[in-house]
Amino acid sequence: MIGKKKRVGIVDLILLSGIGVAAAWLVYQANQQAQYQWNWQVIPQYLLRFDELSGKWVPGLILEGVLVTLRLSFWATLLALIIGTVMGLFRTGCSRYRRMIGSGYVGVIRNIPVLVWIFIFYYFIGDRLLPALAISRITNTESAALSWVLRSLLAEPAQLPIFISGVVALAVYEGAYITEIIRAGIQSIDNGQWEASSGLGFTRAQQLRHIIFPQALRRIMPPLAGQFISTIKDSSIVSVISIQELTFQGMELMAATFLTFEIWITILALYFVLCLACSLLVERFELTLKKEARPL
Amino acid sequence: MKAVKQLTDRVLMAVLVVCLAAVPGVVSAGSQESVVEQVLKRGVLRVGMSTFVPWAMKDKTGKLIGFEIDVATRLAEDMGVRVEFIPTKWSGIIPALLTGKFDVIIGGMGILPSRNLKVNFSNPYDFTGMSLVANRTKAAGMTGVEAFNQPGVVIAARLGSTAVTAAKRYMPQAEIRMFDDEAQAYQEVINGRVHAVVGSAPTPSFQSLKYPDRLFLPIEGTFTREPIGFAVRKGDVDTLNFFNNWIGYVEAEGWLKERKTYWFETNDWESQIQ
Repeated sequence: MIGKKKRVGIVDLILLSGIGVAAAWLVYQANQQAQYQWNWQVIPQYLLRFDELSGKWVPGLILEGVLVTLRLSFWATLLALIIGTVMGLFRTGCSRYRRMIGSGYVGVIRNIPVLVWIFIFYYFIGDRLLPALAISRITNTESAALSWVLRSLLAEPAQLPIFISGVVALAVYEGAYITEIIRAGIQSIDNGQWEASSGLGFTRAQQLRHIIFPQALRRIMPPLAGQFISTIKDSSIVSVISIQELTFQGMELMAATFLTFEIWITILALYFVLCLACSLLVERFELTLKKEARPL
Repeated sequence: MKAVKQLTDRVLMAVLVVCLAAVPGVVSAGSQESVVEQVLKRGVLRVGMSTFVPWAMKDKTGKLIGFEIDVATRLAEDMGVRVEFIPTKWSGIIPALLTGKFDVIIGGMGILPSRNLKVNFSNPYDFTGMSLVANRTKAAGMTGVEAFNQPGVVIAARLGSTAVTAAKRYMPQAEIRMFDDEAQAYQEVINGRVHAVVGSAPTPSFQSLKYPDRLFLPIEGTFTREPIGFAVRKGDVDTLNFFNNWIGYVEAEGWLKERKTYWFETNDWESQIQ
């Protein structure tokens, strides 16, 4: 899809300047009405600050929130991908029992609001399951190396139980959508492919691995990428269970400084940058997939 | 192949059954030890709190500061344990205490009969009151609490706080709009979308000092007086007794009063935040 380069015409310029003027007018109006005392110069210190004790630059409150959001989204996406793949295969499998598990899972999760699900999970389910996993014993570890690994990969030891609750709740939720994406991808492959590979003597697992899945992957990628980006955005919802991610940190900071607009705008910009970076990365990946597919 | 499949299905089913069976088991496995005993054994006091200027807030470096933070830190120090703060959304702080996310709420929580039915409170270690700050143009000429008790008047307050209770009691005819955070409520009155905000002193007067051309104080001082206590899970006499006597001890020392003056009557701490 590499088309000819189009030149920017006069109509485009007029349109662009029109949009620019409208945006500027909106900002001006909002400014007038809200009569807000802007105070942007205090924001940078919440992003990055110089720590005099250690003599190093360290992330400020908001940037720490970004790091938590990244870790949260990463683990939630990974777990959701595993859940989604297993459930997607269940839904397209031959066993009636597995299909029922798959559709039961999707049916339950997709029909409840994410906010309510996260509350329910946090207060009732997470609390009962986490002690069983003996996480508190791990977090009380004396080993400095282990606690360093935990801190950089997951969360502060004190925050770990809540963090894991959040990751699992989010993963189970997003997993339902990934299940459907995987199912749709597999079912979109023509039945003839199954029949032909069966005729060649492949077992069902081999058919899936060598014939169906490589073809399905290219159709799965675009909606899957959308779901990944969605996970980053949905991760802001777990701020309600007090996980110290970007939105939560921002709201805490607003409560302390009363700089409502500056902080919301900063948070907005940070989410946008995160999601845009993710989109561009996926686009890259899709292009390489296409290139690999061409010689076939 | 078929045998393998049947086996995996059976294993799956077994896992499901075990999980379901384990739930009531884990639920009833709560220990009978008092919170104080648990804290001493663990070496960490977990304190639930929420940002509320100047009770508890984060400074520029991300460190928690404020009146409650001083109280909780001193409490842990006197117990010989480490303190760990768990910032929690105010609207969900009681369920979080009840489900064991932390040991005690030290967060400027007003003692209300309705709250007291759900949790146990220590003796009051502080008293606060509700104050009112109004918009200069929207609420022009309105003075006294009574002036705001009229249909058509809109009051903003923080969701789940005693400000809401006070507003409902003293201004039953006004419409009350609730916000998750105090900052949003104050933004509403600054923008003139509501007539006034009800909030714990001294924030309303601080805000009116910050925006003198847009806000004013329709009443002098506060219109309620509320006791503030530590909240703990019900039925723990040992813990309650310890907290009560600790409060008596630091009060007699004059330490509580000295801290209170620092956070509520001066703003020497303002430079630590911005």
